[in-house]
Amino acid sequence: MNPSSSRRLSSVMIAIGMLLVFVAMMFPLYWMVVTSLKKEIEIFKVPPTLFPQVLNTDSYSAQIQHGDFNMFRSFRNSFLISLGAMLISLTLAIPASYGVGRFAFKGKRLFILSFLVTQMLPVSVILTPMFITFRDLHVLNTLLSAILADATIGIPFSVLILMSYFASIPHELTDASRIDGCNQFRAFRSVFLPIASPGVVVCLVFSFLYGWGDLAFGMTFILDQTLRPITAGIFNFLGQYGTKWSYLTAFAVVTTIPVVLVFVFMQKYIISGLTAGAVKG
Amino acid sequence: MKPLRYGTIGYLFVLPAALYMVLLVGYPIVSNFVLSFQDVTTTTLSAAAKPFVGLLNYRNLLADGVLRTSVGNTFVFTLGCLVLQFGIGFALALLFDRDVFLTKTVRGILMIPWMIPMTVTALMFKFMFSSNVGIVNQALQAIGLIQKPIEWLLEPRSAMLSLIIANTWIGIPFNMILLSTGLTTIPREVLEAAAIDGARPPQTFFRITVPMLKPVIESVLILGFIYTFKVFDLVFVMTNGGPVNSTHLLSTYSYKLSFSLFKYSQGAAVANILFVILFIVSLLYLAFVYRDREGAA
Repeated sequence: MNPSSSRRLSSVMIAIGMLLVFVAMMFPLYWMVVTSLKKEIEIFKVPPTLFPQVLNTDSYSAQIQHGDFNMFRSFRNSFLISLGAMLISLTLAIPASYGVGRFAFKGKRLFILSFLVTQMLPVSVILTPMFITFRDLHVLNTLLSAILADATIGIPFSVLILMSYFASIPHELTDASRIDGCNQFRAFRSVFLPIASPGVVVCLVFSFLYGWGDLAFGMTFILDQTLRPITAGIFNFLGQYGTKWSYLTAFAVVTTIPVVLVFVFMQKYIISGLTAGAVKG
Repeated sequence: MKPLRYGTIGYLFVLPAALYMVLLVGYPIVSNFVLSFQDVTTTTLSAAAKPFVGLLNYRNLLADGVLRTSVGNTFVFTLGCLVLQFGIGFALALLFDRDVFLTKTVRGILMIPWMIPMTVTALMFKFMFSSNVGIVNQALQAIGLIQKPIEWLLEPRSAMLSLIIANTWIGIPFNMILLSTGLTTIPREVLEAAAIDGARPPQTFFRITVPMLKPVIESVLILGFIYTFKVFDLVFVMTNGGPVNSTHLLSTYSYKLSFSLFKYSQGAAVANILFVILFIVSLLYLAFVYRDREGAA
């Protein structure tokens, strides 16, 4: 066999391997979508049908019409919580990372180190004290409680990502902006922020997704069903209608859609965010 | 590069974020330690002076079988996931290393399992492992590997296995992408030179690829340990520690004590045990990072 044909053969084998991996890894997601579109009887069929025989969208529409578990309401709650957490994270993290990236000050190393450690912190450690504090401050049962808590994950992540962006910007730019009469704050706004904007997008995406994926904070601090995020909604639903799999998977599909959309439009940023050494809470 | 400018203005930028984190993370950590030496339950939650009980919570926990099971489970779960997700992730990184048709796109799509909320993942796997309608049992029966359906989530061992499989599904993309990025840093010339010198693929792998990836492998494993050791959502939704407390991790056991049994102080004590273990591993990780950085500089 000559080298080029053996290379072509191995390319074909890699392609086949890739296809198998892809099918295996994506199967759970496929199964979730398919199940949400089946009738309850069909779900129990043996052998299982790989595609719904009768397309059934009741699991989705029933949620709109009536519901002590209205998934669109909890969708809205999740959206507001994630958005709020994202805004707080970015508002605080952008200046902080600029300060760390551009200035020398006492205790800077400790500051960075404590943010790194915070990223590795288990939620369990802060959950109980936070619950007690929020209870005393009467913020339990508000979207704000989850927003405040979720931002504690977005902030350190964003600071660590943006810090290196700001640090990598050459000092000539600062000097030039100073000569042009910018003060620190204007230089920050009109010179640095635009350059760091890809990093800012990474942080927007991740701090939103942290909030979106959170279960522990939302379910612990918000007991009012009408205010709970969608993840907590799924958990409730599972407890009450444990085997209504068409409803449950429909709920899960709706929760997944925004993540997939974010992925489709932001894939480049997500991979760069992950490989920048930063990671999921 | 010019030295950074000193001055109080740096503080001004950092202060708001630092303050937020001190109030919402720093204070709770300290308060959690204090809580674990008190006896706070529903009745004493609002009391101004909370009864101090010293090490009583920790002593009670040590005598308590569930804590021991949870510690053991947490390690079994973490190590099981680490081995599987690292092994499979590494294999996939190597598979996707060549620029064949669509490699990048497929690798990108494989990130989705890592991004979706763990609650969704837990629900999906709970469905697939359910004994009467689960596809896992149906598939195993169809190919004749088992005669009767397995009660995956109702037997301690198989429940733990199901949890490990579900979490591995999440961890594979994370390992794959970091190792893939690492692989791209190995110069092609080195690998080609080895091939010309007659090195066989396994030799190249163990003598060149692995040593050159060592820093990446270390950080993938330690980060993987940290993120797996504190997993909460997945286990909480899939088994909630059941059957009969046999699959509790430290995180879910702490939650149960605080928010189902309202033994806030005991929950805090369990969370502290989790925290201390993770803190030690995190410092280890940071030591590695700084060593590598200084080595490179």
